[in-house]
Amino acid sequence: MGMPRMTLQTQLVLRALLEDPARQRYGLELCELAGLPSGTIYPILARLEQVGWLESSWEDPAVHEAEGRPRRRFYGITQDGAEEAREALARTYRSRKQSLPGWVSANPATGGGAS
Amino acid sequence: MRRQRRVPPSLTARTDLTPTLESVVAEVRSHHPDADAGLLERAHAEASVWHAGQRRRSGDPYLTHCLAVAAIVAEARMPSPVVCAALLHDVEDTACPPQRIADQLGQEVADLIAAVRTAEVSAYPRAGRGTTLASDAIGPSWETAVLAIRLADRLHNMRTIAFVAQTKQLLKARETLDVFAPAASAAGLEAVGRELQDLASAVLRPAASSYAVTGRLLAVLTLLLPSRQRARWQEEWTADLATLTTRRARTRFTLHVLFGAPRLSTTLRRPFRRERR
Repeated sequence: MGMPRMTLQTQLVLRALLEDPARQRYGLELCELAGLPSGTIYPILARLEQVGWLESSWEDPAVHEAEGRPRRRFYGITQDGAEEAREALARTYRSRKQSLPGWVSANPATGGGAS
Repeated sequence: MRRQRRVPPSLTARTDLTPTLESVVAEVRSHHPDADAGLLERAHAEASVWHAGQRRRSGDPYLTHCLAVAAIVAEARMPSPVVCAALLHDVEDTACPPQRIADQLGQEVADLIAAVRTAEVSAYPRAGRGTTLASDAIGPSWETAVLAIRLADRLHNMRTIAFVAQTKQLLKARETLDVFAPAASAAGLEAVGRELQDLASAVLRPAASSYAVTGRLLAVLTLLLPSRQRARWQEEWTADLATLTTRRARTRFTLHVLFGAPRLSTTLRRPFRRERR
């Protein structure tokens, strides 16, 4: 299994998907959820699909034919993908915290109020 | 490419506004009273010789473009060698022998022309941040001089963009808005930056008016992708595009897809493997 690069945009897409992991979403919907432009979202979706975190499939014909529009491509996060994504997100969060020099967070009780 | 076509002389109003050698010299002199007019005249003579017979897409003689770019550079208070390089910025595309410009006009002009061709405009804002246009006495930095010519070239091309195919107009306008206009402001060339922004926005706005254009553009875009994947992405994009209700949103969507397409293409072509850290 490969690992996608955890860029900020990738993190936003994963967070959007993990909000409701059971739900399938289409590209434009994810643009809005993640607050990213369309050009950014599709390469990320393609990459996440390549590494197996996402699966995509065409919309059920019954639905789009009833609504009279072209069929959409839906993305869903896989079970493994959800686990790995959660871990990766936690890792990026932790590594960011640790990148602060020790004395910055040495005393959270007094440091917390600084603004 | 732009060589002689049988087009009647342009009837556009712009023709009357085309700067002349005299107006360029006057502009340079107004900022640099002791500027070498002879150098400018020789540069103009070289440009008219080597671009002779070439025409712009508008049908105007190619020399009008050289003069227009030189005039913009002169208005940006650049000294005469920079204005000469502006006059001759495309001379390397002609039959002009490589050594000739250095012999006739000096190494500085020749070096500037060479630098303009390789300049990375997108690299400028970071490198140049904080610097403003130097005073007339000190003169601009080398980077600013090179950038001024590139920006002036783009500015005149944007002024005459009506003569370019529509798909290319959109690409150029987007690039102008994203790369050239910010670089102009970063370099302290505010007037150039503002005009670039206005011209580019004007191109992008009316393009929003037709769904057909965005749909067709998406189809063209898929050509960037590996052939086996094209149908899928075109269908996916078309469906997502159809979800949008306003023309403006559809154009924005398409343009963003356009600028993401190279990345998507490399992603799809990349073999399935672990990322390097």
